[in-house]
Amino acid sequence: MSQTSKSTSWARTEVLADGTALVTLGGVWSLHEELPDIIVKGDKVRVRAEDLGGFDSSLPSWLYGNFKNIRHIDLAALPPRLQALVQLAEKASVNESPSADINVLERFGNWGVDSSSSWSRAFDHIGNTALGFIRSVFGRAKVNWSDLPLQLQTAGVDALPIVALLGFLTGLIMAYVGLIQLRQLGATVYVANLVSLAMTREMGALMTGIIACGRTSTSFASQLGSMNLSQETDALRALGLNPIEYLAIPRIIAVTLMIPLLSLFATFIGVLGGMVVACAGDLSVEQYLTQVILAITFKSFLVGFIKSIAFGFIAAWAGCYRGSVAHRSALGVGEAATSAAVLGITLIVIADAIFAVLFNLFKF
Amino acid sequence: MSTKEDILVSENLSIGHGSKAIMDRINFRLTAGKILAVVGPSGCGKSTLMRALSGLDEPLAGKSMLMGVDLALADQALREATLRRLGFLFQGAALFSSLTLRENVEMPMREFLRAPKREIRQLAEYKLALVGLADAMEKLPSEISGGMMKRAGIARAMALDPEIIFLDEPSAGLDPVTSGRIDELILKLRESFGTTIVLVSHEVPSILRTADFCVYLDPDTGTMSAYAPPRDFLRPDFTPKAHAFFTQACLT
Ligand SMILES: Nc1ncnc2c1ncn2[C@@H]1O[C@H](COP(=O)(O)OP(=O)(O)O)[C@@H](O)[C@H]1O
Ligand SMILES: [Mg+2]
Repeated sequence: MSQTSKSTSWARTEVLADGTALVTLGGVWSLHEELPDIIVKGDKVRVRAEDLGGFDSSLPSWLYGNFKNIRHIDLAALPPRLQALVQLAEKASVNESPSADINVLERFGNWGVDSSSSWSRAFDHIGNTALGFIRSVFGRAKVNWSDLPLQLQTAGVDALPIVALLGFLTGLIMAYVGLIQLRQLGATVYVANLVSLAMTREMGALMTGIIACGRTSTSFASQLGSMNLSQETDALRALGLNPIEYLAIPRIIAVTLMIPLLSLFATFIGVLGGMVVACAGDLSVEQYLTQVILAITFKSFLVGFIKSIAFGFIAAWAGCYRGSVAHRSALGVGEAATSAAVLGITLIVIADAIFAVLFNLFKF
Repeated sequence: MSTKEDILVSENLSIGHGSKAIMDRINFRLTAGKILAVVGPSGCGKSTLMRALSGLDEPLAGKSMLMGVDLALADQALREATLRRLGFLFQGAALFSSLTLRENVEMPMREFLRAPKREIRQLAEYKLALVGLADAMEKLPSEISGGMMKRAGIARAMALDPEIIFLDEPSAGLDPVTSGRIDELILKLRESFGTTIVLVSHEVPSILRTADFCVYLDPDTGTMSAYAPPRDFLRPDFTPKAHAFFTQACLT
């Protein structure tokens, strides 16, 4: 290793006659640079500096990390301020008797947030979310991507059982209601068309969106609300991180990806549910499936798919929004969860109505 | 204009929540590498002042400059870059509750340093050892005492070797021995890295030991009533209320 280079940190070891390992280090030590690796054998180490440039906490940290388990460590040849920084860490490991807790609900009485500004805040939040997306597309935003797998798991995979159950029952109910009417017309075979069309275009996406409001929006709202309460979001801001970008974007992406998949799954299960009822008396399995294949078109899948993307986004956004404007109290966190579900479901139904009009208008 | 050495400047600053000011006419300048203690009765606005000075909240009026930047006016990029050069210990510690203490300290480093995992881990362990938490690194915030949370919060505030650290009651809830060690750590940080430190404290002996300057916030007049080295507060001819605050605390 070059010893003349002043710009990077270096370290080397040699073993002295009495078995002491002598570590010589130098260069400029910085948190932002890679640090040298060393291997030290024996339980006696002497450290000295040579051409030591500037250093930040990376050097004491390196010394502490490499030598904390060595019994006899001699730092006397190092600059005194460096010695002090290493020794401060060494003697720090003490036990403390638990002391009085600080009250996180110190500001429990603070209800001073005006609800009339809630619309402007909602638009503000939508704007910030959109900006965050744009910034993360261009790689300018700091997003906690390590959150994404967990969110995909909880918002998607973990919802499979409930989506299956509700999807199945929805198909079953529709077939049941449909049959009552169709029997009078002697057209029971069309129950397959009814169920499959309704599931693909409408009910698959709607049921999954509503389930997402119940499970995911509420959970996001309480997660973000309690992070707000314990000032964790302030701690993020103090690091120059934007809480919306850092916390909300991975969550919104996860849900917007998972809901269309769940919705597809719900659709298939729903058609299956319809089959159970239809084939219990009126139709054969073959008849039912033939009708299903005739009824479903790629277009109807597309309609459901587009809707489910929108519903997923709405559910996730509602949770993140209500969470981030929650009152800083235990009660506020609970209210945030409730209002997230209400807001999510309301917006989803409104969006569904708008979609119905639009698709009808464009003969889709 | 502030000179380059004035790392923190407060000009006619007015602070509060909502629209009502709780303190105004706050004026002082702090040279880099100095330690400033903010004192005053509980609820007088010390935490609010810390948040305004560090750019977390916008001031109601006046301005504060941090490292030559007015955070209320700076664009997002400059704001964020400046915020990364400061460390903040919240009064309630504000640890990330789903992360262990080690992960809490590693988090800023993971986001802003390009160092390998092992090195980041080593740095985090060192910083936690500095505050005496070498044995509790793998614990969650919910599994430790309030005093330990405070210390972990200090370790996290030190994570990126900031140029200025704001500590809101770093030694509240600590026993005298640990509290003494925090004082020592604060002095060492300044001595070794030239770190500027702004702290809120109620412990007069500790303030006398560490601080270069002290600002007293008086809730009755709604403004600061003194900005002076802490020794001056002990002089009998000093601003009476600030003097009383100091001597009372010394007696009890
Ligand atoms: N989030 C908040 N919203 C409204 N008022 C607040 C908030 N936080 C604190 N306050 C009020 O501001 C005043 C100053 O609080 P604070 O700065 O925490 O005091 P200190 O830190 O000096 O004990 C108190 O009267 C408190 O009630
Ligand atoms: Mg306070």
